[in-house]
Amino acid sequence: MNPLLAQFLAEANDLLASVDEGLLQLERDPGDPDLVNEVFRAAHTFKGSSGLFDFPELTRLTHAAEDLLDAVRGGRLALDSGMTDDLLASFDLIRGWLAHVTQHERLPATAGGDASGLIAKLRAPLGGDAAAASAAGSESLPVRAIDPPPDWLATFGTEWLTEVATWLDTTTATLRFVRYLPDQDCFFRAEDPVHLVRQVPGMDRLIVVPPERWPATEEYDEYVCLLSFVLATRASAGELEYLFRYVPDQVQIAELDAAAINRHLSGEPEPVAVHPHAAHALAVDPALAADARAVLAAAHRTLAIGEPAGTQLLALIHAVTAAAHVLGVPLDLAGADRETVNAAVEGLLGEAPDEPVAEPPAVAPPVIEALAAPPAAVPAEAAGRADDPGGQVGTRVLKVDQEKVDRLMELVGELNVAKNGLTFLADAAEEEFGSRVLSRRIKDQYAGMHRIAEELQAAVMDVRMLPLSVAFGRFPRLVRDLSRRLGKTIELVTEGEDTMADKDVIEALGDPLVHLVRNSLDHGIEPPAERIAAGKPQTARLTLAAVADGDAVIVEVSDDGRGVDPVRVKRKAYEKGLISEEELESLSDSEAVDLVFRPGFSTADQVSDLSGRGVGMDAVRASVEKLGGTVTMRSTLGAGTVTRLRLPLSMAVTQVMVVSVAGQRFGVPVDLVVETVRMPAAEMGRVLHQDVVVMRGEVVPVVDLARALEMPWTPDPAADRAILVVAVNGQRIGLLVSQFHREVDVILKPMDGLLAYADEFSGTALLGDGLVLLVLNVKEVLGLAARTA
Amino acid sequence: MPLELHDDSATLIGVVTVDEVEQLTAWLRGSQRPRVSLRRCNHLHTGALQALLLFRPKVSAAPKDAFLAAQVLPLLTGSSGPASRQGTEPP
Repeated sequence: MNPLLAQFLAEANDLLASVDEGLLQLERDPGDPDLVNEVFRAAHTFKGSSGLFDFPELTRLTHAAEDLLDAVRGGRLALDSGMTDDLLASFDLIRGWLAHVTQHERLPATAGGDASGLIAKLRAPLGGDAAAASAAGSESLPVRAIDPPPDWLATFGTEWLTEVATWLDTTTATLRFVRYLPDQDCFFRAEDPVHLVRQVPGMDRLIVVPPERWPATEEYDEYVCLLSFVLATRASAGELEYLFRYVPDQVQIAELDAAAINRHLSGEPEPVAVHPHAAHALAVDPALAADARAVLAAAHRTLAIGEPAGTQLLALIHAVTAAAHVLGVPLDLAGADRETVNAAVEGLLGEAPDEPVAEPPAVAPPVIEALAAPPAAVPAEAAGRADDPGGQVGTRVLKVDQEKVDRLMELVGELNVAKNGLTFLADAAEEEFGSRVLSRRIKDQYAGMHRIAEELQAAVMDVRMLPLSVAFGRFPRLVRDLSRRLGKTIELVTEGEDTMADKDVIEALGDPLVHLVRNSLDHGIEPPAERIAAGKPQTARLTLAAVADGDAVIVEVSDDGRGVDPVRVKRKAYEKGLISEEELESLSDSEAVDLVFRPGFSTADQVSDLSGRGVGMDAVRASVEKLGGTVTMRSTLGAGTVTRLRLPLSMAVTQVMVVSVAGQRFGVPVDLVVETVRMPAAEMGRVLHQDVVVMRGEVVPVVDLARALEMPWTPDPAADRAILVVAVNGQRIGLLVSQFHREVDVILKPMDGLLAYADEFSGTALLGDGLVLLVLNVKEVLGLAARTA
Repeated sequence: MPLELHDDSATLIGVVTVDEVEQLTAWLRGSQRPRVSLRRCNHLHTGALQALLLFRPKVSAAPKDAFLAAQVLPLLTGSSGPASRQGTEPP
């Protein structure tokens, strides 16, 4: 099966469950907007994903359900139990289909037929569509959500309104009228009302409304928006809502027909709002309609033959009302006499175009609801037939609580420690008990356990591995929305999404990445005009790339924007007191670019709502370093910026190099270690107050770890010095230790409790022989050394 | 650069963004009998349009852009007043 389809099926299962649950809750609590939203979103996602595959029936059915839910969400329709039944039936049908898809990779042959009835029913409360109405063989009486004419309609002018009203009357069509009152300070939010307005499709008339009184030219503030807009368009309400989605509070949309406009023109008051039940469309499942018609025909015969009265008439009225409801025409015949009933039945049978003889909208809700229940149950059962009871949607994906995986990881760590204890036991067997054979056997056992433990660890790590596409997933949307808001055209390119990394890394990567991308969009990439002037293509390119690099993953955010101006950065840093005057002169360009990572630095002159409040890049660096990674930035003025994050693949297991200092063992993360060297004591030099060694022509400062950690130790003057060379922030520094040991994989536990203050240690780890190893935070230790020196 | 400003005449080119609004307004404020060519203008930021509406410079060349020509030019030339002045009419 194609992996996309497999994923869709796996997700579909969850979505269906959440839709079902949401709908049921919604029925209990119909007013909850969050619930409606939730169900709508699920249906929407479903429709969106189904569009990827060749399942037109599925897309059509979910689309109908989505439209209905959208109407409910928008408050245009009240959800009743009939609609809920239809919706549930639709999703049951979908579940049946998907079970079929899982096995045969296509929809069942009956899908089209099964769907059309439900689609018609779902569309019915919305006014139905032409196909559904003709299928039912009756003329629809659609409910259009006609809004009351707003008073700003006058802006269009009487003449034009009259013309439009005549046209709409002739064509029984509606127009959407929009008033857009931009906030006075909207320019500061990178909004351009004219730009929005010109994107309105099917614009019929646009009127730019100037302020009532212009300010005097001296007092005029060009950054205050004074204009407002009214427009008439043939675009659908959905299109308009989408277009104005960032400024919904500044926009009023009214859907008006000829009558509403005429009411406005003649100054009539608004009629009482139409009850949503008032006119259901005659858009019904053909089979049901046939049944209903049979009932009506029978009723008609009864009425023709005899003169039913009393309970007989009442029963007949019940039957007729139920049948009428099935046909989508609510009737209130309670207490009607024989003539009225007969006329109603004839009206229904004759498929009279007009509302049958009956009291119009004033529906007695209890009666109708009681009657609505039995017919509504029928389609649900009908849909159930398509359901494949033994079917399974998608492959089985086990959702496991993250904590459980973490717990498993911890146990693997404990197992490793316990396993390492065996080597000590083997030594003890040989030395203390003198049994070499036993020692050998323990070592054999150890080798077997070691292999299993390694595999177990790899398996658990694998469970925690996620592709970087998870971290990249949010960016297409983010970039699209932000670029529209900023008026820039940006193409987002992602590379290496299938690179895997530990879930902790992926999760922690989210915020820094969002920050970097926003920075690029906001500051890096120029507006189109500036790009063209600079001879670049109008569409900017933002690349997110990931690549595995040994036990690390490298993520790069690059843009082809204006780049970082090192001179400006230096001046800014100097103005903010981040660098001294000498540094201002001496810093190289690449060092200058690095200044943006200093706390309190923000290059944007204007604080925007996207980014740039001076808590930017330093936060990125801090969070990446917390993960044990590094951030570097390369930039070419005018050609773009590349920010490179290097992160460990996994944070669960840390490789440390064990060294001993003054008789105690410490761990140093292997990532930092460049090399280990032994030097004769005589080759140690001293420059000012700093011990140094010269290695391959390079002077490397040496820090005495024992002194930095305040542990008394005097090195043997005759012995060679053991120096561990580490790289911190691109600088090489030697650490003077007394002895090197091996490298070990440890599970690092952060310092907590009484030791939480000890910044010079990044955590503790338990070694196989039961020893607690302190792992050094080298950066802090060096800071400590600098202070004590 | 979307703005070419001379003593009494200006040419607006391409997309006039919010960044140009201040400059344009200052120029409109400063010139005696401003004339503006919109021929090559593709889009006016709302702020720029607003400034043009307030200072009402003479439009020396009509925009080629369909939207600007149809919807914006009539407001600036002021000949077809009904579009913008009907807010006060009785309903």
